[in-house]
Order: sequence, then C-alpha cells, then structure tokens
Amino acid sequence: MSDEEMEFSDDDYDDYYGGEYDGDVDHVDPQKNDPEYFHVACLTDTEVERLLNESVEQLSNSIQVTPSLAKLLLHMYNWNQIEIVAGYRQDCHKMLTSVHIKPATPPQQMTNNQQGESEATCPVCLAPMSPDYASHLTCGHTFCKDCWSMHFEVQIKQGMSTGIECMGNSCQVLAPEDFVVPLLKRPRLKEKYQQYAFSDYVRSHPQLRFCPGPNCNIVIQAKECRAKRVTCTACKSQFCYKCGGDYHAPTDCETIRCWLTKCADDSETANYISAHTKDVNIDSFQAVGPCKTVGEYEEIAYCPKCHICIEKNGGCNHMQCFNCKHDFCWMCLGCWKTHGSEYYECSRYKENPNIAHESAHAQAREALKKYLHYYERWENHSKSLKLEEETLAKIRERIQNKVMAGTGTWIDWQYLLDAAALLARCRYTLQNTYPFAYYLESGPRKDLFEYQQAQLEAEIENLSWKIERAEMTDRGDLENQMDIVEKRRTTLLTDFLQV
Amino acid sequence: MSTPARRRLMRDFKRLQQDPPAGVSAAPTENNIMIWNAVIFGPHDTPFEDGTFKLTLEFTEEYPNKPPTVKFVSKMFHPNVYADGGICLDILQNRWSPTYDVAAILTSIQSLLDEPNPNSPANSLAAQLYQENRREYEKRVAAIVEQSWLNFQVSATID
Repeated sequence: MSDEEMEFSDDDYDDYYGGEYDGDVDHVDPQKNDPEYFHVACLTDTEVERLLNESVEQLSNSIQVTPSLAKLLLHMYNWNQIEIVAGYRQDCHKMLTSVHIKPATPPQQMTNNQQGESEATCPVCLAPMSPDYASHLTCGHTFCKDCWSMHFEVQIKQGMSTGIECMGNSCQVLAPEDFVVPLLKRPRLKEKYQQYAFSDYVRSHPQLRFCPGPNCNIVIQAKECRAKRVTCTACKSQFCYKCGGDYHAPTDCETIRCWLTKCADDSETANYISAHTKDVNIDSFQAVGPCKTVGEYEEIAYCPKCHICIEKNGGCNHMQCFNCKHDFCWMCLGCWKTHGSEYYECSRYKENPNIAHESAHAQAREALKKYLHYYERWENHSKSLKLEEETLAKIRERIQNKVMAGTGTWIDWQYLLDAAALLARCRYTLQNTYPFAYYLESGPRKDLFEYQQAQLEAEIENLSWKIERAEMTDRGDLENQMDIVEKRRTTLLTDFLQV
Repeated sequence: MSTPARRRLMRDFKRLQQDPPAGVSAAPTENNIMIWNAVIFGPHDTPFEDGTFKLTLEFTEEYPNKPPTVKFVSKMFHPNVYADGGICLDILQNRWSPTYDVAAILTSIQSLLDEPNPNSPANSLAAQLYQENRREYEKRVAAIVEQSWLNFQVSATID
C-alpha cells in the first residue's frame, strides 16, 4: 500500500470526499491487476551519477579501497556489492586478479628497468626515461608517461574506457580511472573518457538502461529486467525494457527478434521462388541470402553476444567484438570456439539426403503459406494503426464541428479521444500476437491462444467501427465496448505474457 | 618532420642493424620511413626452407600504439595468409602490444610459417590440405618456395 493510500484510510472524510478515488472501485495492487504493470524511474545523467557514486562510496568504505578501484570492481561485478564484499573478505588477491586489477603472477622487475638507475629505457618509445617520469600499474610494466598518454589517447579514440589494458606484451591488467585521467593531456579527451566510462557503467548495471530514443540522455531504472513497456518521460518513446526494441507483448524478445529478422531477410523470397518455380533448390538460395547483413551494408553486423554494431574492416573472418571481446565467425555469426578445426563449415552447402527433392518442394510451399498467413495479418494491423492515426485527426475535426454546431461542449467529446488511444493500444497488442502465434507449437495452448486472439480481434474491429460513427447518444455503448476490448486484451496478456 | 612514430621507427631500424634477428631482414623504403620492405627466410627443417619471402609493412602515425599493416608481396600458400597477402595473426590485430617492434613482428610471422593456426583459416584450401593431406600441402609450399626465388631475382634486377 502506498503512503498516499495510508493517509486516506486514516481519515474517512478525506477518503470519501477526496475525489481522487472512486468509492465503489476496489483499489488492488496494480501489479496483480495489470499484466503490463512495470514500475520504472527515468533518471537524468546527474541522478545516475549520484546513484553510482553512492554505491562506489559505500564499497570503498566497506572494504577500504580507493574509489577508483571500487568503481572498477563494481563495473566488473555488475554492481553486485554483496558478492564483492564477500569475495574480497574471503580472498582479496583472487578477486583482484580475476577482474584483471592485479596480475595473475606477481610482478617481476623488468630487466631493463633497474630502480635508481637513470638510464632505463622505455620499452615503447625506446628512449631513455628518468624514474620520476615513468609509471606502472600493479603488474610492474614500466613505461614513460608520454607513452602512457599516447596509448590512452589511441584507446579512447577507439571508444575504449574502462577496458583499457596495460601496454605490456600480453598483459591484461586494467588501468583504473585515477591512473588514466591524470595522464590525459587534453581536456576534451578527459571528457570523452568520462563519457565512455559512464556508458560502460550504465551498461554493466543490471538495474539501468539507456533510453533508446534518438538523442535522448535519459537512463531508465527498474528493479528487475523484464520485457515490459517503458515510456520515457523526456522523449516519450516507448520500448521494451529488456531488449530495447519496440514493445512486443505478448511475444517475447527472442521470438520477436526471429520474426523481424525473418520479415526483413530474403529467406521467404527463397521459399517463394522454390514454391513457385521448378527445379530450384532452396538451400542454394539461403546460402546466398544476406543472413548477416544489416540493411544495405554488407560489412556491418551485430555482435551476437552484446549486440553492438560491428563493421568488418579487415579480411579475417574470425571477428572479435571490440566491446565485449566475444570471438565469433563473420560468416555464420556463431561462436568461434564451436568452429574447432572445421573451417567454413558455416558457409559450406550441406545436403540433406533424407528429404527427396519432391517433398522439399511441397514443404517450401507449405512453409511459405504458413508464413504469409501470419505476415499478412501482422502487416495489415500495422497499416491499420497508421490509418487510425489519420482517423484521430478526423475525430478532432469532427469534435470541432460538433462543438461549433452546438452539439455538446468540447469536454463532452473528450471520451472519443480516450477511445481512440485505447484502440491504438489494443491494436498494437493484437499486431504483436501474430509473431507469437507463428512460433507457437500446435496443441491446446495454441487453440486457447487463437481463440482469445480471435475474440480480441472481433472486439477491436467493433470498437473501431463504433469510434468512426460515434454520436453523443452512443457514449454509454462506446464506453462499454472500450471496457470489453481492454478486458479481452488484459485476459490474453494475463494468460500468455510470460516475462 | 619528427613525430613519436617516426622516432620510434628510426630506433627500430637502428636496433635491427645493431642486433639483427636470425632469418629476417627489413629496412624503410628510401623516401618514406612509414613504409618498409622486409624479407623473411623460410625456417630450416620446414617445407618453407630456402624460401625468400618479401613483405611490406605500412605504419601509421599511431605506431607503436597501433600495429602496422603487414602483407606478403611474394606469393604465399599458408593457412593463415589471404590471397592478397594479408596475414591473420593475433598480434597484428587484437593482441597487439606497443612493446612489439619490427623485429618482433617479423620473427612472429616467421614462426607462424611452420606453426599455422588452422582455427583461423584465411586460405581454406591450405588449411584443409595442412590437416588432411600433408604431402600435397608440402608440394604446394615447395612450389611457392621456388617461385619466391624467381620473383626475387626479377625484382633484384629491376632494382
């Protein structure tokens, strides 16, 4: 129960005349009542910084490390303070080596760097360096400060920040913020470093998400990562909290991704050709289909692990994501490790001897029929949504005319706009039921789903029809219809939205 | 003009001359210190023995913070070398360290010749033959070793 409700229940008079709550409606927990309920907070970057700094301060006080080190630890452990404190108290050396803050093997004095001797050589620029102009991380690899600055500059220009490593040969020790920042010469570079580091921290934080809206700097905070609708308070964009894409209930993130890829790529074109022409092998079409491309750019793909956009700028097909260091194959986007010694297995034509060509032909035809059935409906509702936006403009015009003609006041007609908003919301859900049904296996569950889907569809069309022809006298009827549609939608989501 | 990259390349060159590593040699081109020519001799007791393979190294002003682009000029038949001479070697990409110099790059490539990494195939035929038909693989390598002398003589006379 919220504080507000507590306040009201203390005073019956206020409760009754308070006006905010309707006396005969039970106020139940919205979490139970609304399957789409999701509590989030929209934070600005200063608010996020304050939130992160609080965690950093707490950790740095509880295990007595510098704030910079605490920040790096939190980042590497996805901001799980409890785990860090427990691990640190148990074996702080093991914890620090596991996140590359300390080297796995104890530092060795480098042969060419005798302490106290002024003629040591920096292994990077090969110039002599005085001991007071040299520095090193916990691994002991010593370089002159100019070379460190240059190294950081190049790394930051490539978008690196929290992941900048020591320059030593195959040394993976990370450079913490308080080591990097004082060595940066230009203020612009410091700014960039802080900005990239901030993005890294938000990305590693399990409760934070950047708003995917264009040029929007809002960070969304939610207690759990669920595939629910979030509306940004600043840019008003709506999206799924989990995957950051367009909201897609009742379909889950993985399924909608498959569906959208399927709609965008050429696999169904190949099926079409196969089903409608003779003597064509489907597999040969799929092999040349742009399975990895994004849009028109042949040389761009998403990292299969962290989904960051990657451009292929070299000849090698063994890709390593610069962001998450995931190794994958450019050809099939599969994990590189699974390739083993099988080279280019992914692009090689695989023959299936069990399926005779005749049946493949029939299968392609059947698969295409099924896909088209769902796709046409999906596409149709998408178009309807656009058309109903135009209807909204017409409704406004109609309200204007009615008011001018003296049929009711402007306030009397507001219900029609509410109805249009509800219609859009319901149709949006309906559109997203099609990918769900496409991937749903046959059985009683699918039967139930399709029944509920049909019910929802029928009521939505009813509502749409009524909105277009609404008169003042119909208001009760229309509001009744709105209630029915919303109930159908909620029922469907309650039964099938599993996020 | 003296930049950190150019100064470092001069020092690399000095080191190569004072302390030349076995089986490799390199020098900057006459009018551009950012482009080097190099030769790798095929290691002894390998199918590449007696080969003299020419390479080019192209450096940027970000060297040694970024690796140079290294390519074989001589024809090569190797699981990790592309048809255009490009090399798939971790230290030339994501495992690069600014502590590597020209000598370290060339000796790494030299040892790559006899220790190919079939998990990063750049030439799938070479990778396949290396694993499944070593005799045929060695025959193909012997052919490019012979070719390397021809190209070397031709370019030597032109020079």
